[in-house]
Amino acid sequence: MSFVLAFFVGITYMGLSRIVTARVQNRIGPPWYQNFFDVFKLFSKDTSIHHGIMHHMGPAFMMVTAVMSLLIIPIFNGGSFFTNLNFHGDLIFLIYIMVFGPLGMALGAGQTGNPNSAIGVTRGLSQIVGFEIPWVMALVALMIQYKTTSIVDLMNIQAETGKWLMFTSPFAFIAAVLAMLGMFRYAPFDIVGAPQELASGPMSENGGKYLFVMMSSGAVFAFAKLTLYVDIFMGGANNLIILVVKTFILYLIPVLYGIVSPRYRTEQSVRFFWGWPTLFGLLAILQAAFL
Amino acid sequence: MINDKNSQKIVDIIRNYARKHSLWILAYGTGCGAIELPPTMTSRYDAERLGVRGAATPRQADLLLITGYLTTKSLKRVIRVYEQMQDPKYVIGFGSCTINGGMYWDSYNTIKALDRYLPVDVYINGCMPRPEAVLSGFAKLQELIQDGKANGAKEYKENLKWYRDNQKKVITNWKMPEYNW
Amino acid sequence: MMMEEIKTTIIDRIKLHFSDAVEKEFSYNRLDFSVKKETVPSILFYLKEEMGFKHLSHISCVDWLEEGEFEMIFILWSPEEKIKVFIHTRVDRSNPVMDNIDMIWRQANTYEREMKEMYGIQFTGLEAPEEFLLEDWNGPPPMRRDFDTEAYAAKTYWERPGREDALDVRETVEKRTGEVLPEFAKKYKR
Repeated sequence: MSFVLAFFVGITYMGLSRIVTARVQNRIGPPWYQNFFDVFKLFSKDTSIHHGIMHHMGPAFMMVTAVMSLLIIPIFNGGSFFTNLNFHGDLIFLIYIMVFGPLGMALGAGQTGNPNSAIGVTRGLSQIVGFEIPWVMALVALMIQYKTTSIVDLMNIQAETGKWLMFTSPFAFIAAVLAMLGMFRYAPFDIVGAPQELASGPMSENGGKYLFVMMSSGAVFAFAKLTLYVDIFMGGANNLIILVVKTFILYLIPVLYGIVSPRYRTEQSVRFFWGWPTLFGLLAILQAAFL
Repeated sequence: MINDKNSQKIVDIIRNYARKHSLWILAYGTGCGAIELPPTMTSRYDAERLGVRGAATPRQADLLLITGYLTTKSLKRVIRVYEQMQDPKYVIGFGSCTINGGMYWDSYNTIKALDRYLPVDVYINGCMPRPEAVLSGFAKLQELIQDGKANGAKEYKENLKWYRDNQKKVITNWKMPEYNW
Repeated sequence: MMMEEIKTTIIDRIKLHFSDAVEKEFSYNRLDFSVKKETVPSILFYLKEEMGFKHLSHISCVDWLEEGEFEMIFILWSPEEKIKVFIHTRVDRSNPVMDNIDMIWRQANTYEREMKEMYGIQFTGLEAPEEFLLEDWNGPPPMRRDFDTEAYAAKTYWERPGREDALDVRETVEKRTGEVLPEFAKKYKR
């Protein structure tokens, strides 16, 4: 049930980002339900072409990652409808699972034999090396400060003290938001899958139903990440409307930053992530350990 | 009860509605008409209102725009690209060079009528067509899709032998795969 | 005034070294020389090294069908003095052989490949792969004037009916402006 909610909200957010981009560029964009049409059109293609069993299963890896990370992120605060599986140490589990998806896509893209896919895959994985450092540093700072590795405990701490973790550990929040720019793969870090670069990189041989799986897994994964941020830093949500408002405000940050930025090369983006965001991550760890 | 004609009709209506509102164009400018595509896609004559956006590879696209003249050298490549796309796919012929040869009617190297080599759904005339004409061409293709009449891909599969004979007459060094459906 | 002095200097020096150069002046910054085929590499090398015409702008070819000759034209440009020099040579049409000049300028390779494919002029010692612009072409060189492109197009490609009332361009322009075609142009329509 939470999968259906994530699918709908994620695809709506992608459509809304297209409208926001269009209005900034002084034109009328597509309607907000445009991405539903895109996804349905891809699903209803008559023929599907694949290059072997690994290529066929490649998008399935991305979907598995999205669903698994959705399973352990609590969507609503303490309600009885959307309880998910939570256990101690699930924050560390989440860090591992989030990297599993692009690896699967890389395996699938490797079997096509297309050189564009191979170069795109190496670029994507190098970028993951880039943004993982400030992201893990921010999470480690949180884990040190509050002496817990479970998401539910972090939410309970926010409910008890009444203050959001955004304010009590600000450096971790800033480092995590800067790492979020890399996770969403909007400009300036979209060298992996942009259509002008290498004929869209790893996705260049996927069409029809495979692209449907990849787009929807991207949407679900985006929703999962946004909900994780809201749960850890902004105090969770009690009902759907507050959740949508908070996640949309967070989602606007990479979208608006991406409208006005050109694209970074891979080494420039890794250099960016190992600069200021890592500094903020170090400050967060220092603040957590000694204050 | 599930597979009878009426439910097939309802499914077709929903599918065609989704297909007509999201056409993805392959970003491949075959002739000089490709210069009219950036004005159509950017702010003034916005084509993204209709759901049209650019796709990078033939595997992801479902509309191929033949914008202008085709020499025999590029016809070989365009046929290969067309056969890599997935069904259902549509072809729009831009400009008068695809209709009857246009400005290059007496040239030794360009093909004169696109209809004999690839199945075309909609022709847009002009040299080059203005962005308003391009948008009305998209609207006509949307009408054809909704009525279920844009069957270029099916005709290509059924009359493959005829298309292949025409192509081989023009392209002398044929190095393409032969299909056996 | 400066340009006149430069031009006379150039004419004097060229005539001193190459006795078969005939010059003609066209406009403010252009000089034409007509030489024999065999002196072309040495005059180009002399102009490039000694007189500062460092830039090869174009190599072109004119098909004089009535006289039975090809005329090759080399256009050189001097960036310091800002003056153009055109070198004209005539090559026999039935067996066109020219010397290869791509050891002087490397970009002449591209022009010579185009000449070989479009006009059929052979260059001695030219290293080039087979096809350049046309692919799988097994007809006569297409830019010669005795190659009738309209007949070839009608024979090879299927044409859509409906163009029979198209008018000939030269006759329409003639009727519109009252120009009179010279005799030699009436024999060949294009």
